[in-house]
Amino acid sequence: MTTPDAAPVVGQSVPRLEVREKLTGRAQYVADLYRPRMLHGAILGSPHAHARIKSYDVSAARAAPGVHCVLTGEDFGDHRMGAFIKDEHAIAKGKVRYVGEPVAVVAAETEAQARAAARLVEVEYEELPAILTPAAALAPGAAVIHEELASYFKVFDAVCGGNVCSRTELAEGDVERGFRESDLFVEGRYRTQPQAHVSLEPCGALAEVDAAGRVTLWSANQSVFRVQANVCESLGLPMSRLRCLTPRVGAGFGNKMEAHVQPIVVKLALATGRPVRLVLTREEDFEIVRARHPFEVRVRTGVKRDGTFVAREVEVLLDGGAYADDSPGVLGYSLLMARGPYRIPHTRCRGTLVYTNKLRFGAFRGFGNPQVTFATETQIDEIAAQLGIDPVEIRRRNALGADDRWFGGQALASNGLPECIDVAERESGWNARAAARAAPGRRRGLGFACTAHIGGLLGTGAIVRMLEDGTVVLNTGAVDIGQGSDTVLTQIVAEALKLPLDQVSVASPDTDGSPYNWGTTASRVTYTTGRAVLAAAREVERQVKAHAAEMLECAEADLELLPGGAVGLKGVPGKTLPFVAISARAHWRKGGPIVGTNTWVFDRPTVDPKRAVATGLPFPQIGVYSFGAVAAEVEVDEVTGQVAVLRAWTVADVGRAINRASVEGQLEGAFAQGLGFALFEALVFDGPRLANPTLMDYKVPTSLEVPYELHAHIVEHPEPDGPFGAKGVGEIGINAVAAAIANAVAAATGARLRELPLTGERVLGALAAAAANTG
Amino acid sequence: MSALAHLHRPATIEEAVRLLAAGDGERVRLLAGGATLVAMMNAELVDPAELVSLAAIAELRGIRALADGGLRIGAMTRHRETAAEARLAGAAAVLREAAARIANPVVRNMGTIGGSIAFADPAADYPPALVAADAAVEIAGRRGRRQVPAREFFVDWFATALAPGEMVTAVLLAPPAPGRGSYDKLCRVSGDFAIASVALSVAWRDGACERVGLAVGGCGPRPLHLDEADALLRSGRLGEAAARRAGELLAAAADPLEDVRASAAYRRRVIPRMVERAVAQARAQLEANR
Amino acid sequence: MSTRRPLALRVNRAEHELFAAPGDTLLTALRDALGFTGAKRGCNQGACGACTVLVDDEPVRACLTLAHECAGREIVTIEGAAGAAQALQAAFEEAGAVQCGFCTPGMILTAAAMLERTPRPSADEVRAGLSGNLCRCSGYRKIVDAVLRAAETGAP
Repeated sequence: MTTPDAAPVVGQSVPRLEVREKLTGRAQYVADLYRPRMLHGAILGSPHAHARIKSYDVSAARAAPGVHCVLTGEDFGDHRMGAFIKDEHAIAKGKVRYVGEPVAVVAAETEAQARAAARLVEVEYEELPAILTPAAALAPGAAVIHEELASYFKVFDAVCGGNVCSRTELAEGDVERGFRESDLFVEGRYRTQPQAHVSLEPCGALAEVDAAGRVTLWSANQSVFRVQANVCESLGLPMSRLRCLTPRVGAGFGNKMEAHVQPIVVKLALATGRPVRLVLTREEDFEIVRARHPFEVRVRTGVKRDGTFVAREVEVLLDGGAYADDSPGVLGYSLLMARGPYRIPHTRCRGTLVYTNKLRFGAFRGFGNPQVTFATETQIDEIAAQLGIDPVEIRRRNALGADDRWFGGQALASNGLPECIDVAERESGWNARAAARAAPGRRRGLGFACTAHIGGLLGTGAIVRMLEDGTVVLNTGAVDIGQGSDTVLTQIVAEALKLPLDQVSVASPDTDGSPYNWGTTASRVTYTTGRAVLAAAREVERQVKAHAAEMLECAEADLELLPGGAVGLKGVPGKTLPFVAISARAHWRKGGPIVGTNTWVFDRPTVDPKRAVATGLPFPQIGVYSFGAVAAEVEVDEVTGQVAVLRAWTVADVGRAINRASVEGQLEGAFAQGLGFALFEALVFDGPRLANPTLMDYKVPTSLEVPYELHAHIVEHPEPDGPFGAKGVGEIGINAVAAAIANAVAAATGARLRELPLTGERVLGALAAAAANTG
Repeated sequence: MSALAHLHRPATIEEAVRLLAAGDGERVRLLAGGATLVAMMNAELVDPAELVSLAAIAELRGIRALADGGLRIGAMTRHRETAAEARLAGAAAVLREAAARIANPVVRNMGTIGGSIAFADPAADYPPALVAADAAVEIAGRRGRRQVPAREFFVDWFATALAPGEMVTAVLLAPPAPGRGSYDKLCRVSGDFAIASVALSVAWRDGACERVGLAVGGCGPRPLHLDEADALLRSGRLGEAAARRAGELLAAAADPLEDVRASAAYRRRVIPRMVERAVAQARAQLEANR
Repeated sequence: MSTRRPLALRVNRAEHELFAAPGDTLLTALRDALGFTGAKRGCNQGACGACTVLVDDEPVRACLTLAHECAGREIVTIEGAAGAAQALQAAFEEAGAVQCGFCTPGMILTAAAMLERTPRPSADEVRAGLSGNLCRCSGYRKIVDAVLRAAETGAP
């Protein structure tokens, strides 16, 4: 029997723990933090895409009203940061490599004074040829963007040189033989555009130095620990000299995982001895942080006449922008995902990542998967059409089954793909789709696509500490960027210890006090941190029972946790001890305070060398697999070519939904972001300069572009080692959206588009071409 | 750092004009709803020394009927008010529909018709609608008031017939006539500026077209309008052939740019298609009314 | 050169005295001078909606409104939410309509003004009414549902 307090909390849509503060305006994001005597920072960006810095004149800026300090690359030591290749200084030093790259920074009494003074810094440049496309970067005799690339420290066995930042290859089977054995092959070239994250909260940071010279840094981030590492690497600071904290974060989507302005702000605080805050303008946030990689993808797939996939060859070319950032990871991951969730015995995927003189491209929800999935999942529809097989049916026939392995050789401990396909097919009314009728001048179509994604990677930890009164505090260092991990992790503790939610509190991420957490990225917090949290809670349970066994003079095995924070002797109703009695004993008399800890690192290999060959792959261990399917119904305006999404169904196997509303929120939000990627979002470069770095010119979906009929469906195939069976959900929802929409457009019009976004202009052109072909 | 030293709040148009005349065009600017000017100040694209707020001038507010039955829309009338104005019916509905497509509900609550047309962004919604409706713009200056037809008011990219020291005080419309006014905007997302827009205003009586005004927005330095196209549609009674020919004429006359929203070629391509659709819808209504 | 001048603003039903330069926006005054940080600076161009507050019961972009233009007017920020805004707060919580929270204050105040005008909106009316308030975390579905829920509970 359970009391109301002990109703299961895992699986419930419990409201966010911090919801009231967000609803009442009391939630504090970094721009809402004010410190006594705080100064404001500002940045001068480079006007050139590629130039050598000859000299600086900061005298006018230093003399400007309210200015406390002006720093240039000369004031920063020769220290470099980078997640995969350490190629980036805190600000430009010696050279500038993209328009907008910070070349000088100012701290002043007011934001306006700082911005005005920054414009007074004079920099003499010697312009170098700007490399603006991957083709230009690879051309013989091209100017070299990183002359010292060979000497940079790299965290993996990078294959690089010239303007090539990384080359990666992953192969399984014998692709030439596979094509020989195929009855048919389809080949296509696909292009995707750069997409901006547009977290509603721009990037920003606030740093303060204490009397001993130690720095406290608050910033908008996805990992306090990556902030600490990046700042210390790029400034040459011992990590023990920097404490990193995180206030509320207004979303990230990858943009806030690696550094943005944190190193600059720390340097300004150290230089002035005063607190310094710098929050980017929206324009700066577009111009100097990072964006989703534009991809060129070539895919060739060989199949049998009955629709069985036999072979696939994929080549990708990534524009990495001026610095490596997470690009080598994106390249490798896109190749790992390019076979899709299908059995294709002979597959070879190769990719090249190049430096160009553009804004760095980096992590963005999906991490390369949406780009390759657009290519591969639209190609599957072409194959299905050529063979006369239903698009859903061909996917179902080739879908990875229970005993199949992922490309590279990883086993799949859970696989809900077949069920995802069934649910999306059923809910979307797939088999009745021909009945859909559009108004005159409009055409309707339904499209389908599948995907998979990993959740996992790297190290994580948890501390569950019982307070004197028997309540507990959870400390992981995982940053809740708005996706709801604080609530989810609290639900895990509450479930494990049978405590009501209000008896579990969550510590804010703090590099001084939190156990390590690589970050809120890679769809990983619920799975990796959740596992650590559950293990730490189980350790608390063990300690609690050890105390209770001594107190009740019984065997530990005879004890059970009771709802509401108590331990009882099984089958003896009166024999119970509340946590408060146990915790008091532990604190004051015997054993010491009850603290459960757990740390772990994901250590199952990505590639089984007996099955696959990999070179230049930067993640030897990766994670566990979630699966998904998307169906989208579109209407195309024959007059303009514009596409509207009328209804959509997004389905994902997340192992176990710890918080259903939060899982739905991730799937719905990912769909909306994927809709923007599919239809209109695009960073446009005018030569080296971003032409649309504002929300007037760069458009994201509003409530009128995203259909009200957006249906998220959860499928649960538990991951054996996931907390209560859970696995990742943060990214899976975006991967297949563009492909599903493109397939729907093709179904509606007969027009097959291989380049994103599917603007009215492109669709109208394809409509005309399709009409010409059939006419 | 902002150079702005004074924010004036005159109570009359005459006082506003006097304050405006003290500047040289850049130094003193008029502040209407703020939706464009304050955004530009925030972006450090303009840095006026003085602002003349028009918020306290009662004469600039609201929509009222004129003696001849026409409508006078005060320059400080918000887009929200114009979008909800029931008297903008029949052929004049083009203006109401255009107002309803500007930006989003909150910005429509701030932005004003005077501020919008004085800025004269050719991708904005009012300019083609005013040209289609053959509205007039009332202007005040040191030498008093004058009226300029909307078709002459928009001169070039972000340039109007306003002389230095002049301001827009109202938009004037002829007495509403039975008919149809429609505004169709092609844009990337709701509320965006137009890739192309088609404003059509048709006045009819006893099943015959009395007056047709057709203008295209977003496809050149100012609203694209051809008397010849209007005449074709009127004489052709909104027929298919006339619509096709009008669309072709407008597309040929268009001078679109390539920008972040779309290419020039696409704009040229959609103009006749959108024109044909707008005319076909008007034709259907005209026939239904018969 | 801009100099700061005294200004009295009525915010959340209380009088506040502050100094503001002629070009200071209402957003700057609310946040930096008065500490009402519930209004957010997402773009400073009026495009995102995160700074939306009510002035004389109508939603405006605080980033596009000059502080000195607001003297004598009734300003309501999320910190002073009352009436429909409170019903919306409860509905947003129940519907799971809050993710990162950065858009939430502007979203609630915009919706509150809409419900004053249209007490029983359809889903499409809500979508149109909120189309100037960007949310990048959700698919808007739960936000629209929350507004519909608030409209139901707030009905007489």
